Amino acid sequence: MASAQLTDEELFSQLKRLGFTPGPVTENTRPVYLKKLKKLREEQQQRGSRVLKSRASTAVSTAVSIAAPRPSRHDVTQLSAIRKPGRKSSVLGFSSDESDAETPLKRKGLAKHRRITVYHQQLAGPTDKQNIAGTTLNSFSSPLDHQSVHESSRHYDESGDEGEEEPENPHSVNGREVTGLNKTAGEYSDSDEDGVLSPGDRERNLPEPRRSRTAAPISPSDNRDSQVKGKNSSPNPPGFRKMVRAEDEEVNGEELDPFGGSQRYARKSIYVSLAEQRGAKAGKNHFDSEDGAARSNSGARFSVGLRPRFSGYSSPAQTHNKGNHSNHSPPPNHAYSPTAPKKKLSVPEDELLLQFRREEPASSGSFSAHYLSMFLLTTACLFFLLLGLMYLRMRGSVEADGVIKRHPFGSEFDQSYAEEEKELILTLLLSLHNHLAVVAGQHDCGDPQHPNRSLSMNQSATYLQAQNQEFERFTLVALEWIIRTDQELGLRLLGEDPHVPVTDVSEISQLESTRPRMPFTCRLRKAFVTVGSKVLLVAAAAAMVWGVVRYLKFRWRRQEEETRQMYDMVERIIDVLRTHGEACQENQDLLPYLPIPHVRDSLVLPQDRKKMKKIWGRAVCFLSANESRIRTETQRIGGADFLVWRWIQPSLSCDKANPMPSKVWQGQAFPLDRRNSPPNSLTPCLKIRNMFDPVMEVGENWDLAIHEAILEKCSDNDGIVHIAVDKNSREGCVYVKCLTAEHSGKAFKALHGSWFDGKLVTVKYLRLDRYHQRFPQAQACSTPLKASSLRLSSTPSQQQTSSAS
Amino acid sequence: MSSTSQKHKDFVAEPMGEKPVMALAGIGEVLGKRLEEKGFDKAYVVLGQFLVLKKDEELFRDWLKDTCGANAKQQGDCYGCLKEWCDAFL
Repeated sequence: MASAQLTDEELFSQLKRLGFTPGPVTENTRPVYLKKLKKLREEQQQRGSRVLKSRASTAVSTAVSIAAPRPSRHDVTQLSAIRKPGRKSSVLGFSSDESDAETPLKRKGLAKHRRITVYHQQLAGPTDKQNIAGTTLNSFSSPLDHQSVHESSRHYDESGDEGEEEPENPHSVNGREVTGLNKTAGEYSDSDEDGVLSPGDRERNLPEPRRSRTAAPISPSDNRDSQVKGKNSSPNPPGFRKMVRAEDEEVNGEELDPFGGSQRYARKSIYVSLAEQRGAKAGKNHFDSEDGAARSNSGARFSVGLRPRFSGYSSPAQTHNKGNHSNHSPPPNHAYSPTAPKKKLSVPEDELLLQFRREEPASSGSFSAHYLSMFLLTTACLFFLLLGLMYLRMRGSVEADGVIKRHPFGSEFDQSYAEEEKELILTLLLSLHNHLAVVAGQHDCGDPQHPNRSLSMNQSATYLQAQNQEFERFTLVALEWIIRTDQELGLRLLGEDPHVPVTDVSEISQLESTRPRMPFTCRLRKAFVTVGSKVLLVAAAAAMVWGVVRYLKFRWRRQEEETRQMYDMVERIIDVLRTHGEACQENQDLLPYLPIPHVRDSLVLPQDRKKMKKIWGRAVCFLSANESRIRTETQRIGGADFLVWRWIQPSLSCDKANPMPSKVWQGQAFPLDRRNSPPNSLTPCLKIRNMFDPVMEVGENWDLAIHEAILEKCSDNDGIVHIAVDKNSREGCVYVKCLTAEHSGKAFKALHGSWFDGKLVTVKYLRLDRYHQRFPQAQACSTPLKASSLRLSSTPSQQQTSSAS
Repeated sequence: MSSTSQKHKDFVAEPMGEKPVMALAGIGEVLGKRLEEKGFDKAYVVLGQFLVLKKDEELFRDWLKDTCGANAKQQGDCYGCLKEWCDAFL
């Protein structure tokens, strides 16, 4: 708060200019108003553009650095300007980088943040010792001057990095900034200087950050393996890093396309280049990401590499490029952090667009991951398919042993034949069996080659002949053995008559297999067909069940709807009848009944009549059956007989009667305290308002009821000597006189703010003489009144109706 | 009615008269001492400051904070106390 030079009047006028009407600026209020002034200025500037703000600080700092003749004023604005963006930066933190327009501010904030802490520390120090005279303001304003001058020049250096927006409106900003300070022509000179200085300074300052960044690109570039990057990055003047980076990305993007990692790299670098908060780290990330992209194609790195966009930290980049660049990642960061990288506003937007366009074709990031998953999936599918096929195959095939180990013929067979004969017979049988199986299978499959399922003897004999000459001898023997055995062998021997079991070899005319072996495709087809049909059956059953359920639900819902409509209709009828009945009670000219059709026609709109016919019918039945207050009868109206309804319930007056309780105290609206009641009772006379409404009162002695009510409310108070109800007062006034002021005070407390008969009662004191003027009879009263009945009828506990608040 | 302390209620119940500044709600011994050092030895002086600041809450709170280092709660209590007093008696 360095404006000790700011006089009271000036402070006052400035505050007024900012739309705030201050009280007097005195010794005590000066600091407060100064703070307010600063705050108002900050708010104002916040509402303006941030660019303007940075402009302001730039301009102001320039003005200060020139050692303007009015350092204090500039201090104020400059400090406020510094303070404000600093604060903003601390608020904004390093959270987002969406808007490019924020970049100048954020970079400023970065730089200013440190200085702001210094400033705050300075401020905190003297504040403790601040005395009312504000002398400390003077004392620490001077050191702050120096500091601020020094800082501002530094600050300005960095702000010179802004970009081309800077020179655009220094005038307006300066005008705004400085106007508050002085209205002389000096402000124009300030702005001129600013205008003149800013481009010059910018140029002067531009090389500086670039120089500082020179070191960084060189070191990582050495380590870079990919010559693409190397040849692209190194020749570029580091000063135009950001812009170059954009070009790099575009160039590299195209060149590295076949690489597969290029798009990733491009995207990463764009994102990274847009990361404002740690511009330096963004640069670092850029390099890291370049290398990372160049090195590997892994999709994981891609996703990791994208993260730095948001955090702006090189740590994720480091983690994924650990092996390569960890050694030189920290130093460039530090080198970068003080100097904000500059970039054109338009370039990052272009980069963004480019990157987005490239994003569609670039699925290469997930290249290997995708393929890997596909591969696994296909492998699994194939595996299962093979498994199924093998299973099917196995099922169909018979274990064909080269040597028949077992035979079902028993030990007899073994004994009666020699070894090779046995073998012959068995192989004969086996081949016969297989052949028959094939035949049967093919026949079953609908193969036109085999019209018959079975083979005749001749056919089998010829077949066996064809297989092996030796078989001929044993054909009949084998068949005999088959007949003899009891076991099921898979061969069936049929005689002339298929149903008669064959007992002798000579009877055999057909040979059939009982275990047909169908070709694979046929089997598969059959399997599919079976499965398909079964599934279809199940589906059909489910669909049917579901359909039935839906239909039932629909029906049920419709019924509910109808019932509801019916009840609705019933209620309406009852209402109509009731009102009619009550109207009849009052007006004896009306007929006490209503014809049913008339009721219907009055309740149901003409277009609905057909629809509602059924409902109406049901309603009528319901009424006649269940409603006791309505009687159905036949009357002759206008010469025609009508079924009518008569409402036979006597009107309940309590239905319509107001639920408000009459003449009851209903509690207190607000607690009485010093705020809303006089601290002490002033006079012994009270005027109570709003206790009744003279228009609404009916009866003879309602005023006595009010007397009673008051007395009962103040039953503990034995000082009430006179009560008068002003019957004609529209406000419902009641006048009370007490023995002493103390009694009236008690009564006041008891009555003021209470609810009586639904009205809020208020009490105030009256002058005694006026009261006596009005009620001369009260002068004579001195005996305390008591509630006449001990029943306490006006207290809530006695009444059924509950107290309302 | 929000809860107010006993001090608050006591202060607001009657005209402050010559009550010391420590009778204000939110102002205890420490803060009272600081205010007294600054010259605000009586509650009515603080009232004066309050009125000079046109009973503006923010300004008064800032002033209180600057003058005696009151925290937010103390500021609020004091402000509320004075405001109510003014509503009742001014």
